Amino acid sequence: MFEMRGIEKRYDAVVACNNASLRVAPGEIRALLGSNGSGKSTMVKILAGLVKPNAGEILIDGEPVTINSGEDARRLGISAALQDLSLVPTMSVVDNILLGVEPMGRFGMVDRKKSLDDAMALLERLHVDCDPEVYVQTLMPSAQSMVEVAKAVYMKPRLLLLDEVTAALHRDEVEILFELLHELKAQGTAIVYVTHRMSEMFEICDTATIMRSGETVADVKTNEVTLDEIVYYMTGQRPEAEAAHEVHHMAPEAREVVLEAEHIAIYPKVRDISLQAYKGEIVGIGGLEGQGQPEFIRALFGAIRPEAGTIRYLGEEVHFRSPADAVNRDIGFISGERNREAMFPDRTVAENIFAGRAARGMTFAYLSAKVVRDFAQAAIKTYNIVAGSIYNPANSLSGGNQQKLAVARWIALNPTLLLLDDPTKGVDVHSRREIHRILRDCADRGMTIIISSSENEELLDLADRIYVFYEGRVSGVLSGASKTPERLVAAMMGLAQAENNAVKEAEQA
Amino acid sequence: MMEGVRRAFERFRRTPAFMGFSLFIFVLILNIVVQTPGQFFSARNMNSLFSKNVPLLLTTMAMTPLLISGTLDIAIGIQLAMVNVVSVMVFQQWGTSLYVGFLMGMLASLVVSVFCWFLVSVLRLPAMLASYSLIYIVRGINVLVMPSPQGRIPDAFYKTYDMRLGGFFPFSALFPLVVLIAWYYLMRTRFGRNIYAVGGNPRNAFAAGIDPVWVQFQAFMIKGVITGLAGIALTLMTASGNPLQGEAYGLRSLSAAIIGGLGFGGWGSMACAVFGTGFLVLIQNTVYYFFSLLTKAIPGFTVTSYWQNLVSDVIIFLGLLMTIVTAKGQREALRQGFVRQFKRRERLGD
Repeated sequence: MFEMRGIEKRYDAVVACNNASLRVAPGEIRALLGSNGSGKSTMVKILAGLVKPNAGEILIDGEPVTINSGEDARRLGISAALQDLSLVPTMSVVDNILLGVEPMGRFGMVDRKKSLDDAMALLERLHVDCDPEVYVQTLMPSAQSMVEVAKAVYMKPRLLLLDEVTAALHRDEVEILFELLHELKAQGTAIVYVTHRMSEMFEICDTATIMRSGETVADVKTNEVTLDEIVYYMTGQRPEAEAAHEVHHMAPEAREVVLEAEHIAIYPKVRDISLQAYKGEIVGIGGLEGQGQPEFIRALFGAIRPEAGTIRYLGEEVHFRSPADAVNRDIGFISGERNREAMFPDRTVAENIFAGRAARGMTFAYLSAKVVRDFAQAAIKTYNIVAGSIYNPANSLSGGNQQKLAVARWIALNPTLLLLDDPTKGVDVHSRREIHRILRDCADRGMTIIISSSENEELLDLADRIYVFYEGRVSGVLSGASKTPERLVAAMMGLAQAENNAVKEAEQA
Repeated sequence: MMEGVRRAFERFRRTPAFMGFSLFIFVLILNIVVQTPGQFFSARNMNSLFSKNVPLLLTTMAMTPLLISGTLDIAIGIQLAMVNVVSVMVFQQWGTSLYVGFLMGMLASLVVSVFCWFLVSVLRLPAMLASYSLIYIVRGINVLVMPSPQGRIPDAFYKTYDMRLGGFFPFSALFPLVVLIAWYYLMRTRFGRNIYAVGGNPRNAFAAGIDPVWVQFQAFMIKGVITGLAGIALTLMTASGNPLQGEAYGLRSLSAAIIGGLGFGGWGSMACAVFGTGFLVLIQNTVYYFFSLLTKAIPGFTVTSYWQNLVSDVIIFLGLLMTIVTAKGQREALRQGFVRQFKRRERLGD
C-alpha cells in the first residue's frame, strides 16, 4: 500500500499542491485526474523523487519514508514514465532502458549481451520495431514514449507511475500498453495512471483520485461513477456536450476578417487547426495543457514554421520567416512566460516598455532619451503600472506589474492583431482584471485579439468566441448562447469530438 | 559477410566519430601524397610525429570525459606545465628519483582537477569562466614553484621516450595506447553509461538514480590522471622545466575535440579525440611539407612560418565549419523524416 498524505508544494506564491492525498494498493490501477494546474504532475514528480514537497508524508505499507532523489525512489521500488520523457536523447535505446540498473558481468563490466537480450524482449513485448542500438533521438515520438514505458517497467517496480504516456501514442499502441498494464496488475504492481483521455481512464482504471487546484477532491471507483460526475469533480461544472461542437459563425459579410488560418499542422502537437478572427473581436483559445495552443500561436507570429496549412492576414497569404516580419505587419505577441519570452529583467522599466517600438523603425535611427522617457511615462499612467521609477530595473516590479508592462509595450504600438499566450499565468487577481479591461478597450477600438488561456473563467469573461483545442484539433467553437462553462468543459475533455468520431466511425461501417 | 560489413559501416556512419574520421582520413591521404609514402611511413617520421604530438593528443583525451559529462576545463594546458614544474623541482630540489617527481606531478594534477570540479560541479560556476580564471591561478603557482625555466632530466629518460620499440613502434605511442585501453574498459562499466546520461540530460540522469555531481567528479579524476600523463610526456619531450609552457594546449585540445565530433554534453567518444587531434597535427605537417615543396620547385620562393600557420588554421576553421554544418543537416533531415512519417500515418486514417 502506497500512500501520500497532506502533501503541500509551493513555488513562491504559486501553490501546486495543497493538502493533496493519494492511495494506491498493489494490483490496483488508479487514475489521477484533474484539469490544468491541478497538481497531478507534481504528485507524480514527488513520488519519483524529482520534487520535494514542503509538507506532508509518504507512507509505504504504513511506514513513513522520505524520497529525496531518483535513487531513493528506485530503491523503494517506484519508477515513473513521465510526460516530458526522462530519456537521454543522445544515448541508445538499450542504454536508456537499462540506465542505472544495467546487468553486471565480469570485472565490473556491464553484461552487453544480457542487456541487449533484455531490451529486445521488452521492446518485442511492447511491439516497438526498432534497433536497440540506435539513438533515442532518431525515434518517432510515439516510439520514444514506448521506450519511456519500457524503461519504467524494466526495473520491475512495486509502484509504476505513468504520466500522460499515451498522449503521443496511437490507438493500437495504447492497446498494447493496456495489455502490459493488465499483466503487471495481475502480478501485483500498483499503478498510478495520469491521463486526460476519459475513455482510456474508464477502460483501464479501477479507481480514480480527482484533484482540483492542488487539492484532492474525490476518491471514487470508476465503475460507480459517470463521466459527468468525474468532470464535475475536476472542474466544479457539469458538462453539457450536446451542442458544443456546433460552430457559430457570425454573419461573415458583417465584419472584416483579419486573420484566417486554415488546416495548420505542426507535428506532432498541432494536427489540423483552422481559425478565423474578425476585426474588433477577442478570440479565445482554450483547452487542457499541451493540446497545441502555444505552438499554434507561435506559428501565427512566425516563431515556428507550420508544416502544412495557410495563414491569410488582412486578405493576403503570408509566410512570416521570423517574428520581426510579423511585427512589421502590425502583429504583437505577449507571452505568459514572462522571464523567458517577454522581459529584459535587468534593463529599466522605460527600456522594457519601449522595446516593442524600438523593434520597429531603422536600426541606427537617432533616439533621444526624452522620447523613451515620455513614451514610458505615458504608458505607465495609462495602464496603472505601479513602479517606483521608470529607471528601476524591470525585475523590481511585482509579477502582475511586469505582465502589465509586457501588455503595455505592445498595446502602445496599436497593433492590428495582438496575440497573447496565457498572459495572466501567475498574475494576481487585481492586475488580471486590469489587463482584461485594457484588452477589452483595445478590442472596442478595433484591435483584433487572439488570447490563449489555461483559465476557463478568463476565457468566458473575455472572449467573444472560444476555440477549444483537443489533441491538436478544434473540438468546439463556442460563442453567444453556447458560451457556457459546461460546454467549455465538455469540449476541453474532447467529449464533443468523441461524439463526432463515433458518428464518423458509424458512417464508415 | 558483405551485408554485415555494410551494416557495421552504416552504424559507424551515424556515430559522432564519423565526421572526425572522414576529415582525418582525408588529411592523412593528403599528407602521404605531399610527403611521398616512403618518407611518411619511415620509422623516423612516425617516431617524430608521435613523440612531438603525444602531449597534445593526451590533452585532448583528457578533455574528452569532461566534454562527455557536460563540462570542460580550458586551464588544462597550463596544468601540463604544472606537472612538468612539480616533477622537475621535486627531482632537482629534494634529490629524489625522477619517478617520485612524476608521482608528485600527477598528484598536483589531481588536486587541481578536484578544485576545478568543486568550482564547476558543486558551486555550479560557468565552466568556461571558472576554468579561465584557473589558468591564472595555476600559472601563479607554477612561477612560485619554479621562477624561471631550468632543470634537466637524466638522459636515460628522454632517450627512452624517443626510442623505437622493435625498430619501429614509437615508445611515446604507449602513453595514448594505455589510456585508450583503460578508457575502453571504463566505457564497459556502469560509469560508461552514467557519464553519457549526465552529459546528455542531468535531470533525467538524476531521475534514473544517478548522482550527476559524483559522476562529474569521476570524470574530473580521469581527466586529472590523463593530464598528469600528458605533463609527464611533455617533461620527457622537453627534458627540462618551464613554468609558462603549454597554455595553448587548452584551446587547441578543445578545437581538436570539436573537430573530432565531440559535442558539449553526452555526444562523442574517445575516438573523436584521436581523430580530431590527428587532423590538427597532420594538417600542419602537410602544409609544412607543401611549402617546402614549393620552395624547391620555384626558385626564390620563400615564406615565413606565419604564412604556414595562416593556411593551416584556415583549413582547421573550414573543418570546424564542416562539422557544424553536417550536424545541422542531420538534425534537419531527422525532423523532415518525422514529419513524413506523421503525414503517412494521418493519411492511412489513424
